[in-house]
Amino acid sequence: MKEQLEALQAEALDTIATAADLDTVEAARVKYLGRKGAVTEILRGLGKVSPEERPAMGQLSNVVKSAIGDALDSRKAALSSVADAAREASEAVDLSLPGRRPSQGHIHMVNQVTEEIIDIFAGLGFQVAVGPDIETEYYNFDSLNTPADHPARDSHDTFFVKPGVVLRTHTSPVQMRVMEQVKPPVAVLAPGRVYRVDYDASHSPMFNQIEGLLVDEDVTFADLKGTLMHFVHQLFGKDTKVRFRPHFFPFTEPSAEMDISCTVCGGNGCRLCKNSGWLEALGCGMVHPEVFRHAGYDYEKYSGFAFGLGIDRIAMLRHAVPSINHLYDNDLRFLEQF
Amino acid sequence: MRISLSWLQEYVDIDVSVEELAHQMTMLGLEIESIEQLGDDVQEVYVGQILSIEPHPDADKIVVCQTDVGGDAPVQICCGAKNMKVGDKVPTAVVGATLPGGFAIARRKMRGVESQGMMCAAQEIGLADETDGLLILDEDATVGEDIRVHLGLDDVVLEIEVTPNRADWASMIGVARELAACYGKELRIPEVALVEQGPAIETLTSVTVEDRERCPRYMGRILHDVTVGPSPEWLCNYLIAAGQRPINNIVDVTNFVLLETGQPLHAFDFEKLAGKRIVVRTATKDEPINTLDGETRKLSDDMLVIADAKEPQCVAGVMGGADSEVGEGTTTIFLESAFFQPASVRKTSRGLGLISESSQRFQRGADPEMAEYALDRAAQMIQELASAKIAEGVIDEYPEPFVPREVTLPYARTLRLLGVDIAPEQQCNIIESLGFEMIRQDDTEMVVRVPLRRHDVSMEADLIEEIARLYNFDNIPVSLPRARKCEKVFAPNEQRIRAFRHYLVSLGLTELYNWSFSNDDEVERAALPASYRTMVVLENPLSEKQATMRSSIIPALIGNGARNLNYGVTSVRGFELGPVFFPSEGDELPTQGNRVALVLAGEMEGAHWSRSARAVDFYDMKGLVESVLEHFGVAGKLEESDWETFQGGQRASVRVGKQLVGTFGRVASTVARAFECDRPLYVAELDLDWLLTKRPGATQFQTVPTFPPSTRDLAVVVDSVVPAGELLEKAAQSGGKLLRSVDIFDIFEGEQVGAGKKSVALNLVFQSDERTLTDKDTQKAVDKVLKRLKHEYKAELR
Repeated sequence: MKEQLEALQAEALDTIATAADLDTVEAARVKYLGRKGAVTEILRGLGKVSPEERPAMGQLSNVVKSAIGDALDSRKAALSSVADAAREASEAVDLSLPGRRPSQGHIHMVNQVTEEIIDIFAGLGFQVAVGPDIETEYYNFDSLNTPADHPARDSHDTFFVKPGVVLRTHTSPVQMRVMEQVKPPVAVLAPGRVYRVDYDASHSPMFNQIEGLLVDEDVTFADLKGTLMHFVHQLFGKDTKVRFRPHFFPFTEPSAEMDISCTVCGGNGCRLCKNSGWLEALGCGMVHPEVFRHAGYDYEKYSGFAFGLGIDRIAMLRHAVPSINHLYDNDLRFLEQF
Repeated sequence: MRISLSWLQEYVDIDVSVEELAHQMTMLGLEIESIEQLGDDVQEVYVGQILSIEPHPDADKIVVCQTDVGGDAPVQICCGAKNMKVGDKVPTAVVGATLPGGFAIARRKMRGVESQGMMCAAQEIGLADETDGLLILDEDATVGEDIRVHLGLDDVVLEIEVTPNRADWASMIGVARELAACYGKELRIPEVALVEQGPAIETLTSVTVEDRERCPRYMGRILHDVTVGPSPEWLCNYLIAAGQRPINNIVDVTNFVLLETGQPLHAFDFEKLAGKRIVVRTATKDEPINTLDGETRKLSDDMLVIADAKEPQCVAGVMGGADSEVGEGTTTIFLESAFFQPASVRKTSRGLGLISESSQRFQRGADPEMAEYALDRAAQMIQELASAKIAEGVIDEYPEPFVPREVTLPYARTLRLLGVDIAPEQQCNIIESLGFEMIRQDDTEMVVRVPLRRHDVSMEADLIEEIARLYNFDNIPVSLPRARKCEKVFAPNEQRIRAFRHYLVSLGLTELYNWSFSNDDEVERAALPASYRTMVVLENPLSEKQATMRSSIIPALIGNGARNLNYGVTSVRGFELGPVFFPSEGDELPTQGNRVALVLAGEMEGAHWSRSARAVDFYDMKGLVESVLEHFGVAGKLEESDWETFQGGQRASVRVGKQLVGTFGRVASTVARAFECDRPLYVAELDLDWLLTKRPGATQFQTVPTFPPSTRDLAVVVDSVVPAGELLEKAAQSGGKLLRSVDIFDIFEGEQVGAGKKSVALNLVFQSDERTLTDKDTQKAVDKVLKRLKHEYKAELR
């Protein structure tokens, strides 16, 4: 039996070594190790072997099985890798051919900036509030300390729907609508469409603004500066310089305009900043006592700041867009750049 | 307002550089629009003296002059002017000079005689004087001196934007006062000492103010023996620097004093006033007046005029009348200085569409006290410059003098509002330096009297602003406020709208952003249903194209699609989230709603080397609409729509339950052509507000299959008119609980299936959670499906 096993091993190893393909290897596995294979066939004679020799024969048969098994595995692996290599070679691609790109949509530039601004202020505890595009004169002007004959109305060329009803010229009316609903603390941002009778390369009759309002018992001008500087550094980068200078708005006192160092020249002076090194970024100030009076807030107890910024302008500065009209042309060749 | 630096220096000493001054003014709130160095365009022009004038040998109209410009030798200049004589001093441009307009002077020959420069007329060196001939300079001019220095053209002009609250800043003295306070300098206001002569003014004229509300103060003086003529050079230069054109000494003085004090003045030719008297009254309806700008204007009965005994001679505070204009023949003038009600001037100015230096100042609020100073200052100047005599006395109709406001500021309020602790002493000093009168000042608060020129100061916050400005905003510290929790959520859908926007973008759509305007024609061209035709109309639209507020985003998106296709964009995939508006009878405001609109056109899949392009079709838009509904957790049913916007047979209304949620389809050819497009366009609009009311609940777990699915294909032939969707529906109903999904993978019409028939190939997927299915299981289910389809649609197995 020993000789039989050894002879079988030799034959099997020879067959496997010369197998030319995976099918031959598989056939060899069936022939030698299969349930009805040669090894099993030989082991059927184990009963005729003496009890003393049986353990040795059993052991030997395992050695033979394992040797054939190993040979099968290694031959299979060798043949597989040759087959893989051949297939892979035939499947080689031209790396330089263009890939299939999934089609890519784009968020409108105005909303990209709006979302970013909202996120920055959300981190400071501000939430979004909204109001109607078509507003009463009361909310748009009167309640914001801008009565009918106020000269500040001249700078807001207003679209009228009927007497007393206008297209909002800013999103500031939202602050009044909010304050009417809750007592302080209030921390809101009001983004939205606004309208003015003005149309040229830098003015669109419809554009977008964000109004911000923070009111509580202890809000100061220093808080206003800190909040807006944080905002600028987040949106335009830490190196951007910020300047607050006095200005006039009917609904804030004191009022300020905030400039940022020019996004093109960094403050050295260029055509964009008219050589001043500064760009006007937004208007802001401490909420006017008259506005609080309309809101039913006690000026002795509460203070607050408000600011309003033109989203279009920020977007244009950031992406170096030369004319506001691009923003509302809805030309996909423009929109899909961003 | 244009601020000449040399003029400004008459009132306050400025000893900082122009850049520093500009910065400081900016930090005071005087926004600098531009800084202009006058005379920059006049280079290498000197005071020259003509030494000799000889005729040109070959030209009658040219003379040859030797002119001393301070160099080693005189220069030879050929000149065509006639008004000069030997010894005259004239502006002389030498070789290499440049003049306004970029005109460069070179050595050249004029008819054979060399000319080494040019002697200049006034306008050639940028002066407003348009008289012909050379500008003959004063005899004491220094030969060789730079002409800009000699004429004062080397000035710097700072153009400032005056905010509407600070009427007092629209004057040289107002700006000087601010700078004096800021730099701790003295403010010099020119002293006025009048010499009055002749008859008392009451014997010469009378003033009747009929409308005291619109004219709280009216002052006047009469000046005799006026010699109208040109103003001196210094006055002209100041006016030119301020952007005004010198006219004559009388008008120039009134303009000068207006710019100096901010108080508008008007000079009437007294002899031309009917009845030699003044009536301040409102105009009668349609009463005409010839204004100084050469127009005849019709007034309305709420406009204030300064009239003589017969007719208006001046639109009060806005513009004078041509009939009583001061001119060469004028000998006696009536000089007016008044305070008109700001609202009235504003209304009149807007009503007439007439904006003047006067109206701009009056409508912001002049200084009723300045009226007196300005009148006397102008009278004195006219006396000096026009050798006039000032009649004795002054008319001053001011029955109810304005009472200055008193404002209290507790020092602690400044800290509370600004967040910086400014010492009480410093707070008081700042307020006083601006000309506020201190009434009381103690340990806790100050009480001040507000000058009448400061219409903007009436309360504590206003004083704090003054302190903040002068303290300098830069010196206020920076702090970050803590986050506050508001008791209400104001825009609960904001986050979901954003998520929806990002979802649409993830589907490959680009966000569009149209104006909210529309117009009747656009709605007509888009063939929108009648309910969209009644729009919110603007009273004062920018143009007919923006006459209304849009009732739908569809017309805009058709336009966007059409234009982009025409631009050559191959694939148009866009959406807009935005408002629409409808009139709402009885409500204060129109109704506003939010819509989502979609547009598809051109290629849905672009051409690639591995496949050809596929054009957009109806089912792309249908799938997109279904995706939108699914995003909000609802499923819709489509019904045939009757919108004429869309092509019949390719239009649908979307219904979810009983709710009509929107409409979509292929834009009808006639509509597309009306938008200049001849290619297929698909547009949808859905009610975003309604969709936002649908809040998908948290999705609940379903067993993940552990046993393999078994799929079967089933092709049936039915009548062509049978909606394929119904076959799907019936198959799903009849397939039993093992049927997990059913889909259509092929539709076929043709000879093989017979006329009026179509083959619909269904793909059925079966699966069990308990075991692997056998062929018997699936066959049983397929048989049931087939039986149902046979029964309902006479479907035949193909």
